[in-house]
Amino acid sequence: MTPFIRSMFVVARRDFLAIVATPTFLLFLLAPLFMVAMGLAGGVGASQLADSARGTGRIVVIADAAEVDALRAADHRLRDAFKRGDAPPPLEFRIAGKDAPDPLAVTREKGTDTYAVMSGALESPRIVERNAEGGSGRYLALLANQVLRDRAAGDVAPVKPRFESIQRGGTSIAVQQSLGFGAVFVIFLLTLLLAGQTVSSLAEEKGNKVIEILAAAVPLESVFLGKLLGFLGVAILFIAFWIAVAMGGGLIAAILSDPGMLTAADGASKAAAALASTPATGWPFFLGIGFVYFILSFLLLGAVFLGVGAQAGTVREIQMLSLPITIFQVGMFSLSTAAATAPDSGLATFAQIFPFSSPLAMAARAATDDAKAVHLLALGWQAIWVALVIFLSVRLFRAGVLSGGGNWKFWRRGAAAAANAATTAADRH
Amino acid sequence: MIGDPGLNDFSVEANGLTKYFGDYKAVDHVSLAVPTGSIYGVLGPNGAGKTTSLRMTLGIIDPDEGTSRLFGGQRPQAVRHRIGYLPEERGLYPGMKAREAIAFMGALRGLDWSEGRRRAAGFMTELGLERVIDTKIRKMSKGMAQMIQLIGSIVHAPDLIVLDEPFSGLDPVNQERLEMLVRRERDRGATILFSTHVMAHAERLCDRIAIIARSARRFEGTVDEARALLPMQVRYTPRTAGDPATVAANLPAGAELRGDAWHFAIQDADVEPLLARITASGHGVTGLSISRPALHDAFVHIVRQVDAGFDADATEDAVEEASA
Repeated sequence: MTPFIRSMFVVARRDFLAIVATPTFLLFLLAPLFMVAMGLAGGVGASQLADSARGTGRIVVIADAAEVDALRAADHRLRDAFKRGDAPPPLEFRIAGKDAPDPLAVTREKGTDTYAVMSGALESPRIVERNAEGGSGRYLALLANQVLRDRAAGDVAPVKPRFESIQRGGTSIAVQQSLGFGAVFVIFLLTLLLAGQTVSSLAEEKGNKVIEILAAAVPLESVFLGKLLGFLGVAILFIAFWIAVAMGGGLIAAILSDPGMLTAADGASKAAAALASTPATGWPFFLGIGFVYFILSFLLLGAVFLGVGAQAGTVREIQMLSLPITIFQVGMFSLSTAAATAPDSGLATFAQIFPFSSPLAMAARAATDDAKAVHLLALGWQAIWVALVIFLSVRLFRAGVLSGGGNWKFWRRGAAAAANAATTAADRH
Repeated sequence: MIGDPGLNDFSVEANGLTKYFGDYKAVDHVSLAVPTGSIYGVLGPNGAGKTTSLRMTLGIIDPDEGTSRLFGGQRPQAVRHRIGYLPEERGLYPGMKAREAIAFMGALRGLDWSEGRRRAAGFMTELGLERVIDTKIRKMSKGMAQMIQLIGSIVHAPDLIVLDEPFSGLDPVNQERLEMLVRRERDRGATILFSTHVMAHAERLCDRIAIIARSARRFEGTVDEARALLPMQVRYTPRTAGDPATVAANLPAGAELRGDAWHFAIQDADVEPLLARITASGHGVTGLSISRPALHDAFVHIVRQVDAGFDADATEDAVEEASA
């Protein structure tokens, strides 16, 4: 092991233990629980709101009593084509006649939202609708059309379809893009949680004056890399913990719900079915390269944050630096999300090349494009940027914090040398 | 790793180190040559440029001009593991235990962690700190923490030990312990380079010194050579209190009577003639002491000379500006 690598690990070890071996780390480790709890609370609220909205909505047909059964039967058949949640609001009937209500009056009835009302002859119905883009009115027109077609065709034997699921190569582009988006989201979320912490890491050394000991003992590059490595260790511990929790929780839930499932043959086939949505590069490669891209994303953004944070001297400065850093992260997320949803666009290519969005965008690409060699190129490109950012951060740090601006302020050095030479020459004369 | 000390064997060779902070020239062509196996003091008033000179010597910051080479021509960055450094601004991780902190500093210089812990315990026991071996730094007094940091800077048995103001903040007992430690490290074969503005430590410890004032080196040599810059001081008490004018006639010009004793300075060559004159004068001798001035006096003399030169330059510049 070279002295550089060794000192890097010494710094990493110190930082890792300083973070992990504290009670506050437990809070950090359990932070996702709070996020999940908040998400659940929000989700339950939103779901109740949606259910409530669904329950109060309706569409209405004002028709002759003789047509109601035909309309109801057609409505029943047509609804089968919709997924739950996409179906039109429930259908209600009013009988046409002298006492029939005016369609507009129906829309004004209290206690429920009426999206559309159809009245008149089925051949030329009058449809009053709340929102022309909503589709409720068009559904009622389709309903009338269906009844008329049924009437014209007479009795037709019902279709007996045979459904078969696509077993291989059937993952749609949309699903793959969703997987890509998922990868971008997970990497972004983990990076946001973990890499942002590096902002304040050098402030500790500056605050307690250890930085001069480090700077005298080891190359600053190894200090920076060691710190990133220490935080990466924390990140991996964090991920491993939650993977273990998820697997353990899943296992326990499976055993409690169906103990025989673990050994049953159909259990395996169910698991396989769950993985039927395959990324273009396959699950093992996708997960593996996703993890590697997470590491590179962490190192890249962590190095930027470390370099920027190293310039801060106080907690207040660190807090002020956090905002632009978070905005920058969100910007990279937005760029990569756009790339994930439009994988063949110029924007996607830009996101894959731009160093700070590259890990996210390339992880998304692994979901939609089966080319694997390009990932090697991307990893090399990102590694170069990690090294470059650390190099620049160290230069900046040395110039700003240790006041060692010899190389940085080259113009000043040149001017000083020139002035010195002039003075010496004058003394000689 | 430690070489045999010799006349031309230098652990530190810094030439013409110069550093600007903005437009201010903090260090102006300072050169240091520290013989291997010696204790070398860099003395100077506050703000003279001692710390910046040491930092440039160790490669912590880059000089704007000049070079620093260690152990016979090697770049400081290439021999970090052979150096122990105690910075002026003390710093340790407050959450670390003392033994771990020392082992950490050793590990930074390539020492195995377990060996570092073992040596840490040994050093701490030796210095009477055994009761705080596993105490966190934040629970220690400032002086204790400083001793921990000092141990951390020598735990890996470095060939060159650089201590920036090592005695500041220590009580007299710990100052004595530190002096003992410095001597022991020198006896082990290490070269010690330290800065201070407390002359007593330098006088007791240093084989050679450099005095820096107003950013530049103003003196380099042994402590005795520094003291020899000033004439010897004489205190003479006659046996018979006669007419002071007749006594003064036998003494050098500038002799001053304080109480019943005369005080004056003489050059080395004038000692014997003076004794002859006093004996011949018949006033007798109750007390006579001839001594070299202390390093403190030499230091103050040098610094004041430099300050006077700067003041004169400033006045001259002001006159020139006014006349222009």
